[in-house]
Amino acid sequence: MKIIAATAAALFGLALAGSAPPAFAAEPVAAAATPSLTVRFAGIETPTGAVLLSLYASEAAFDAGGQPVASRMAPVKGDTAEAVFPGLAPGRYAVKAFHDIDGDGKMGTTPFGMPTEPYAFSNDAIGEAGPAKWAGASFDLGAADTVHTIKIR
Amino acid sequence: MLNDLHLDRRQLLGRAGLAVAALAVPGVAIAGPALPDWALGVGDVAGDVPMQALTLLHGRAPEDLAGMLYRNGPARFRRGGTASGHWFDGDGMIRAWGLRDGKATLAARFVDTPKRRLEDKLGAMVQPGFGTASRAGSRVTSADDTNAANTAVIAAGGRLLALWEAGSAFAIDPDTLATRGPEVFRSDLAGMPFLAHPRIEPDGRIWNLGLSGKAAFVWRLSASGQLEAGQAIPLPMGSYIHDFTATARHLVIVLQPWVQDHMALPFVESLSWKPELGSKVLVVDKADLSKRRIYELPPFAFFHLGDAWEETDGTIRFDGCFEADPSFGRDAARALVDGRYIPVPSPRLTMVALRPDGRADMTAAGIEAEFPRSEPQLAGLPRSRTVHVGGYLPGRPFASKVGIWDWRTGKDDAHDFGPRQLVEEFVPLSSGKRPLLMGTTINLDTRRSELHLFDARRVAAGPLASWSADMALPVSFHGNWVGRGAV
Repeated sequence: MKIIAATAAALFGLALAGSAPPAFAAEPVAAAATPSLTVRFAGIETPTGAVLLSLYASEAAFDAGGQPVASRMAPVKGDTAEAVFPGLAPGRYAVKAFHDIDGDGKMGTTPFGMPTEPYAFSNDAIGEAGPAKWAGASFDLGAADTVHTIKIR
Repeated sequence: MLNDLHLDRRQLLGRAGLAVAALAVPGVAIAGPALPDWALGVGDVAGDVPMQALTLLHGRAPEDLAGMLYRNGPARFRRGGTASGHWFDGDGMIRAWGLRDGKATLAARFVDTPKRRLEDKLGAMVQPGFGTASRAGSRVTSADDTNAANTAVIAAGGRLLALWEAGSAFAIDPDTLATRGPEVFRSDLAGMPFLAHPRIEPDGRIWNLGLSGKAAFVWRLSASGQLEAGQAIPLPMGSYIHDFTATARHLVIVLQPWVQDHMALPFVESLSWKPELGSKVLVVDKADLSKRRIYELPPFAFFHLGDAWEETDGTIRFDGCFEADPSFGRDAARALVDGRYIPVPSPRLTMVALRPDGRADMTAAGIEAEFPRSEPQLAGLPRSRTVHVGGYLPGRPFASKVGIWDWRTGKDDAHDFGPRQLVEEFVPLSSGKRPLLMGTTINLDTRRSELHLFDARRVAAGPLASWSADMALPVSFHGNWVGRGAV
């Protein structure tokens, strides 16, 4: 619908940091847990390019286009791709991702800003008239290393 | 009751020579004690309709007339106690009314959309639409998830295109009516809006728009339906646009003061009627989309325009079916699904002239009219005749007459089907040099759909021939005649 087109341009703008190093502060503290988060993508339909993903640690950043705590480029291997975020602080996180099929580093969009490359959010969350929100996409990371699987299409 | 519409599975499967596989699903009845008889026009069809021979009611068709009248329109509004919130939101069904060797046939098949698949699985109408709010279970990741593919159908490049307006055209097999899927004209244009009213030049080139707020994407396709060019252009206001028109050289985009001025769902709730803005007409040069002129007109609401043309002094003319306000689309067309009739201003046939000095004016024909059509070979060229339906009766929706208005003589050559028929769009066609009109109605007495053929030079004389199906399909929106071998 027109409304979706109007909002998607702004909201789907996944600002990936590209090659910039992770800019999050998860200083390992002695005796404190620093679990790693593995994000695994399943159901990839086109076996080319990479999945570009950003990890967020706050509702404000996730819902309002703020800065992610880290970004990764996960090469596609067959129908899967995987990215690891080591040394995180336990807490609540959410992921935005898209499959950069053509390898241009950007999410393909129509002239009206609607995505033309597959995208997904953690928890396989689906938005209403726009991208998924933190409320649906965020999950708890405990003290143990964790694998979070996302179906991307 | 509407249950009469639901096909009997055994009867379907038992019929010999099925052209389309029967897909009977359990029937859904509208709750309520006393639906008006016209609610047959917004009933549910349970599944695909295998090809059937029609019964000739009277007359005869020209022996050399062969082809298919493809029509599209919503045919499923209810599932599991839930209903679409608007006439425009039911599942699209392609009807193929065939004529060959003087004999007529009908087959019909639903467009297999993601919306229909999801709602079949859930047994409920959950997806948002033009006037339908979303329900639990709704899943929308793109506009095409809400695409009902239910508004019009054209033939191009060996396939049919089932058209909606806020998402992709769906490609359909012209013989089996099977859905091939959403048409991707170019990878970066997947899912882009594509109006149900493309303007097709006499040589077959197709122009269309896709709308998003105050921007229009201009589609240009070859006669075989391949993308030639596409470009976004700005609009002077964010009007609801269902249709536009074109001359041989210009696109003519009429902007009514029914504008999207806030975000709301369903879509119709985001539109506000602001007559103080007036209506505007944007004229764009087909050869250079940056060359544009804007004309001002008094406020009116509308869905449909006739073909436009240009006169030697540069005056651009077109007609349209204009309403005093948008209450039909905003209110009455929502109530239809519940079998409720809300009186609204009728559409009036009106001629617009855009003068070379920048002035614009309107002339009323003085008749009610909707679904304006003219001969395809005259698209964009001077003409005087406009095929239309009309005859809106007190207390019920839908037309009761078909006619051809002649702007030169100021006369309407019309046939009145009477109050017991719901009249759908009629389209012009020809047999050799003989101009004809073909269209469909729903007979409320027999509770069956009918096909009618007229001599376009003598509409008032009544149909040359009429046929009846053995069932009623709900009122459809738009279609086109495709001569045999022309797909």
